[in-house]
Amino acid sequence: MKLGLAIDLDTCVGCHACAVACKEWNGDSLMGGAPDYDAWGKAPSGTWYNRIRHFEIEGDPAYSPHRCGSASETGAHQPLSKTVNVPMSCMHCEEAHCVTVCPTGASYKRAEDGIVLVDPERCMGCNYCAWACPYGARELDQDKGVMKKCTLCVDRIYDPQLPETERQPACVLACPAHARHFGDYDDPASKVSQLAATRGRQDMLPDLGYRPTNAYLSPRKPAEVVPALPLRQDLTEKARAFVNRLIEL
Amino acid sequence: MKPALSVIFFTVSSGAGLGLLVWLLIASLMADHIRMDAATFHKGAVIAALLITAGLVSSTLHLANRKNSIYALTRWHTSWLSREGLLAIALYPVAGLHLYALNSGLPQVTPVTLWLLVALALAIMLCTGMIYGCLKTVPRWNTWMTPAKYVLFGLMSGAVLLPAVLSMRPAAVGPVGKPMMAVVLLAAGLVLYVAYLLQHPRKSYRINDALGFREGNVRLLDAGHSHGTFLTNEFGFVLARERARLLRWVAIMCGFVVPLLLCYFSQWFWAASIICLIGLFVERWLFFAEAEHVVRLYHGQPRV
Repeated sequence: MKLGLAIDLDTCVGCHACAVACKEWNGDSLMGGAPDYDAWGKAPSGTWYNRIRHFEIEGDPAYSPHRCGSASETGAHQPLSKTVNVPMSCMHCEEAHCVTVCPTGASYKRAEDGIVLVDPERCMGCNYCAWACPYGARELDQDKGVMKKCTLCVDRIYDPQLPETERQPACVLACPAHARHFGDYDDPASKVSQLAATRGRQDMLPDLGYRPTNAYLSPRKPAEVVPALPLRQDLTEKARAFVNRLIEL
Repeated sequence: MKPALSVIFFTVSSGAGLGLLVWLLIASLMADHIRMDAATFHKGAVIAALLITAGLVSSTLHLANRKNSIYALTRWHTSWLSREGLLAIALYPVAGLHLYALNSGLPQVTPVTLWLLVALALAIMLCTGMIYGCLKTVPRWNTWMTPAKYVLFGLMSGAVLLPAVLSMRPAAVGPVGKPMMAVVLLAAGLVLYVAYLLQHPRKSYRINDALGFREGNVRLLDAGHSHGTFLTNEFGFVLARERARLLRWVAIMCGFVVPLLLCYFSQWFWAASIICLIGLFVERWLFFAEAEHVVRLYHGQPRV
């Protein structure tokens, strides 16, 4: 099994509900523990397994379907800007360098389902794995002095006491936009595999070679909008429009 | 990257101690030629041991959970940090064996332990360099120059310390000759450091690569947090350009040029050693402060 998330950059509204649900479930769980520091003070901070950042992409032709010239002019796209909300947690990479660099063996990748976990009984809090992670997925628990990260809610997804529909990570259950999906990427028929295949995934820092398991589904390309009226008029049309405006005066 | 003083002190101090150990052992092979008596050798060995041990103790200060540090010796087949720790601990029994063999006159053991110690010292410095050099996430570090710097600067500061140790010989022996090894290594160190400063990282990453949007201008609208996080604290260190320029000159002058002049033209070897170590400390501080981690792309930096 290769368990992971599929995160839809098209429908994510950036509400941070996944991060809040994550905090709520992992706040004082057995595997987790995500403390806050100075939560009601002047400089509140805390350990989060999931952080949402908001970006603007401007002038990408794939997302700028509105033409500003005549239909015959190629490349005359209006440089529209697009906002994408990017929730980021552990990608459970196939080449998890965070695990290779760990000197204590506290960080490990499970052979059976590919989940990357930290054993708090072995971690010495050297931060080396956080240095090796390009995606900022690992944060130190300053209360216990051990590294913390997304567990893919390993204490939920196998819990037979939960109803089957709830055996999913807390962030997936919480997402009001259904932008988060959980499943097995080794199974080509699973929902996440299908989504990643049909929608396409964003390659995040592929040159590093970490091969993330989580897929960020690319925003859907908007349909091209061609203006009904030609925006560039020839001379006679311009003259007629000018006369019409004069008459209306 | 955040320049953590405990780690900077560790790399400079242990590097100098290991370098001194290497040169002291090689000097002991020609003890008669350079007129190094046993007492001076032992004094030098104590200084080297103090520098190495102080560095290693300091390196544990940045651990958030020191009680588990014993496990750090278990992953030597993948982790350079583990290899470094294991070899550093292995150094002590071998050094003890060497001293025992020296003092009880076992000429068939001393060459083995001596070259084993030299190899261990070099390997430890290489491992320390590879801890940083193997990180693909910090393009500035991910070059062969990083481990080369750690080994060369360790040997260099050790070579500057050796004449200082030799200057503790009894007055009757006379003054120390020109330490040509120190001079040559200081010049080589200067060349390598300037090359490191001039060389740009092999690979640089854009914010577009971080998100997978190949075209268009990508910029951060909101980082999603109102105050500092672990990530901004660990990776968000920003060094003012003017200050970096000044500190680079301090590192070049104190780390290499001034000790070189002092070694060549004077007998002030202790001053040369201390100035060299201060310069290397500044150099190591800059090594961390100027390195940029790719996670900064997700915090809005256009290029790393």
